[in-house]
Amino acid sequence: MIPIHPVYLIAGFGGGIFLFIKGFFWLKKKRLIENIPTSKIRSIAMGLVEVYGEVVPWKGVLKSPFSNKECVYYKFSIQEHRRTGKHSSWVTVKTGEAGMRFYLKDNTDKVLVDPTEADVNVSQDYAFSSGFGKDPPLAIKQFLKVNNMNFESFLGLNKQMKYHEYFIAPKDKLYILGTADDNPFVKDGNSIKNAEDIMIQKGKNKEIYMISDKDEKGILRSLTWKAFGGIFGGAVLTIGSLIIILIDLKLL
Amino acid sequence: MAIGIWIIVLVVLGLFGIGIVSYVISIFNGLIRLKNDIKKSWANIDVLLTQRADELPKLIASVKGYMKHESKTLTELTKARTAFLNAKTMPEKAAADNMISGTLKTLFAVSENYPNLKANENFMQLQTRISGIENELADRREFYNDSVNNYNIRIQSFPDLVVARMLAYTEEQMFKATEEGKKDVKVEF
Repeated sequence: MIPIHPVYLIAGFGGGIFLFIKGFFWLKKKRLIENIPTSKIRSIAMGLVEVYGEVVPWKGVLKSPFSNKECVYYKFSIQEHRRTGKHSSWVTVKTGEAGMRFYLKDNTDKVLVDPTEADVNVSQDYAFSSGFGKDPPLAIKQFLKVNNMNFESFLGLNKQMKYHEYFIAPKDKLYILGTADDNPFVKDGNSIKNAEDIMIQKGKNKEIYMISDKDEKGILRSLTWKAFGGIFGGAVLTIGSLIIILIDLKLL
Repeated sequence: MAIGIWIIVLVVLGLFGIGIVSYVISIFNGLIRLKNDIKKSWANIDVLLTQRADELPKLIASVKGYMKHESKTLTELTKARTAFLNAKTMPEKAAADNMISGTLKTLFAVSENYPNLKANENFMQLQTRISGIENELADRREFYNDSVNNYNIRIQSFPDLVVARMLAYTEEQMFKATEEGKKDVKVEF
């Protein structure tokens, strides 16, 4: 049998318990999503609501940092390949996000959405890897310069780096589970349009707030896999690590 | 050797116990939430029903002078409103709602026979507002029925039904539209 370092075994045991518990949180989230019917935007009531519709810009759009695409929200990460002795790994050197309020429109009406503090789960829209003989595009070079970062090492050779970008663009279809409440940016009666009176946002009691580009079925499928993987995988990892620890300690 | 096996047995039982307790708690909380969601979605319908009932006297006042030959419809509308205001339970309110919706449909349909009324700005504004409320009501009735459906499915499915029986939860009734309410109104010119 290949000897496993005790640190990995303890990490496996702890990680297994963590996964096991996390599995139940995913299960709880799945049940919550299943239990809340989708509201038509025209008739959403105050409180936790589930809506599905198309993104419409409110007041202008943002430009995504790497691909320069028009969007209402983006997040990104930059990873760098680093070596320490015999080992090498990808290290995340910068992450960030930005968003602005936007409308979500279905076939009945539209409502304002503030993505601040939302758990945004959208698929990757852009990825680029730079390395030896492969410079990043101009937009990325400018971004790195503004953020005092460099894609070249001190010898002038390109570092191995990965750039990932996720964004929500106009006309994207979104699933949102969030709190419909008064729009704090408009005073009662001063709103130009009714669509701005109510805004979907993070609840005052920090209720669940998620935005996804998957539909409800897709989200539920993914949560089912996560929940059962977490619960059963976590249990197997915990017990497996424990058995090896006990064998190492000659207690088995 | 024996200690090791005991440790494994204890950990397995511990995980199993935590799993069962967490699952039962999540079912318990889920069912309570579903039950409260039904109450909330009914309250959201009730708000609109009250708003619509508040608009009806203005509507009746605005059409009375024009629709002298439709006194039966107007009397029915007043009766339906009174029935709603006197209703205490959800089925009573639902029945009154069906009556109001049906009568309003008739009223708006026959209003086509009165060009002077159609030219009345006050009537047109009221019609738009009430029709808007009617549309929202339709959405919220649908939402209420979805909430009830989710709840009824849960309390009849294993293992939720075990917890539902412990809580003495029984099936909830959906919001049903009457056959009259579903029919289109024929307008005779």
